[in-house]
Amino acid sequence: MGAIELDGLTKDYGDVLAADDLTFTVDSGEIFGYLGPNGAGKTTTIRMLLGFIKPTAGTARVLGNDIRDRRALTEAKHRIGHLSDDQAFDEQATGAEILDLHAAVKGDERRAELLDLFSPPLDRRVREYSSGNVQKLGLVTTFMHDPELVILDEPTGGLDPLVKHRFAEFLRAECKRGVTVFFSSHILSEVRRLCDRVGIIRNGRLVTVDPIETLLTRSGKVVRINSAEPIPMDFVDLAGVHDLETSAPDERGAETATEFTECTFTFTGDINALLARLPNHEMVDVSIEEAPLEDVFLRFYGGEDDA
Amino acid sequence: MLEFARYDAAKRIRGSVYLSVGISLLAAFAVWAYPSYSQAMDMTQLREAFPEPLIRAFNIETMASLEGFLSVELYMFGWIILLGLYLAYSAASIIADDIDRGRMDTLLSMPVSRPRLAFERFTALGVPILAVNVVTPVVVLVSAGLIGESLSIADLVALHLLSIPYLFACAGIGLLASVIFDRASIAQRVALGVTFGIYLVESLLSGTDYELLGVLAPMRYFDPNEVLLDGTYDLLGAAVLIGMTAVLLAVSQLYFVRRDI
Repeated sequence: MGAIELDGLTKDYGDVLAADDLTFTVDSGEIFGYLGPNGAGKTTTIRMLLGFIKPTAGTARVLGNDIRDRRALTEAKHRIGHLSDDQAFDEQATGAEILDLHAAVKGDERRAELLDLFSPPLDRRVREYSSGNVQKLGLVTTFMHDPELVILDEPTGGLDPLVKHRFAEFLRAECKRGVTVFFSSHILSEVRRLCDRVGIIRNGRLVTVDPIETLLTRSGKVVRINSAEPIPMDFVDLAGVHDLETSAPDERGAETATEFTECTFTFTGDINALLARLPNHEMVDVSIEEAPLEDVFLRFYGGEDDA
Repeated sequence: MLEFARYDAAKRIRGSVYLSVGISLLAAFAVWAYPSYSQAMDMTQLREAFPEPLIRAFNIETMASLEGFLSVELYMFGWIILLGLYLAYSAASIIADDIDRGRMDTLLSMPVSRPRLAFERFTALGVPILAVNVVTPVVVLVSAGLIGESLSIADLVALHLLSIPYLFACAGIGLLASVIFDRASIAQRVALGVTFGIYLVESLLSGTDYELLGVLAPMRYFDPNEVLLDGTYDLLGAAVLIGMTAVLLAVSQLYFVRRDI
């Protein structure tokens, strides 16, 4: 059984289809990234999973509980942590008072440990908090009752790089303890660093769910070649070569119409086949790198911005 | 259980102290003003001088005794109108303000059902309601003693006890507005408007063919004159107010559960 199972989950607002027939499963113990630009339907999905809004069709099970069964879902929240994308607390209360309320309702086995890690200023009123401190307080309330599933909506917004790093380490350690993490993001490097699998959502529709490696393989490699001698154009006339750019500085004597000395392209074919074709020239530099996830993203979005 | 009620109750203590002080000042002022009024003029004539709608609106029976004077100046004005509106206004932010400011998601990500949340936060309004009803009668009795008047302690205590269900019923109106409207400012305005509106309907239509319209108004079931002047306690009225509060709470919970946030 998956920790979260979406089954045709749909939210139709009439003028906009915020979530369109979403079906996928988040397995127990994995870190699942839910990726998409702002307005793609990530928060809508999460808010349906937690019972804040009702689906117009389909359903989902969270830790085995149908989200339409309010009583069961409320009960299950003892075992769920949630960080909202716009985390807000009673501004008049101090951080400590907020944590005391949360502790009384759901427990606080891990409060001290989390405060060591994220340390929001507990004696100050929330009204005086920076957005980073609100987020830190939110991380403590999310994990303090030792949940087995956490649902995080854009968790690193507002955190400084140091805390972001600490959070990533923490999340990995949680995953090793068997905690399931479902987190949404529009920041690709974050997803790539943390996730086992990624679901990409666009305009309310699920585009793909893939292990992060598959996504990177499918997206190809960026190949850069700088040769001391000219290479014939035939070399790059091959299936799987995209976004080709070639150049030939004058001093190396290449015929720019048929030869080049420097090139960059994205390659989605078999990299060994490509290397076998490489002429036996003296090379200045050759590099083969994973395509940045931004490009992967762009491919799924067909060049829309926000990536 | 009751974690949210406790939390909210603690948050309401400071405001309740201010409220009790304010209303006590009003009470002390009303008692203090009575002798100079009654010496300066014929209080029966003063009553007659009010236009008929105002007599009805304030339910003025007599002003020729401290009891009658307090009924009008303190209880009709201070309790039925001022506190009634204050409670409706206060209750109107219970749910709407958290939705408005994006705090509801944080609250509901805890294992708490919406009906329980609404109920617990509603009960926390008991803090200002109790505070003002404990402090003010003491102030009234002491001030009356100071001007050499005596009041029936039993009647005064009964009056304040009977006002508790009245104030909760007004708060119920606010709670309903609070679950219907997303924005606290709108919920508060609606709660004030509706509460004051039904007060006007009830007081201005009484004695007319449309009197029946006031049957839903909480003000119909709480009459300070009756308690202070006649010493009769309308327990049935109190029961109706308790029932009204229960219905408003239940409808609010139902609406809150069914809506998207």
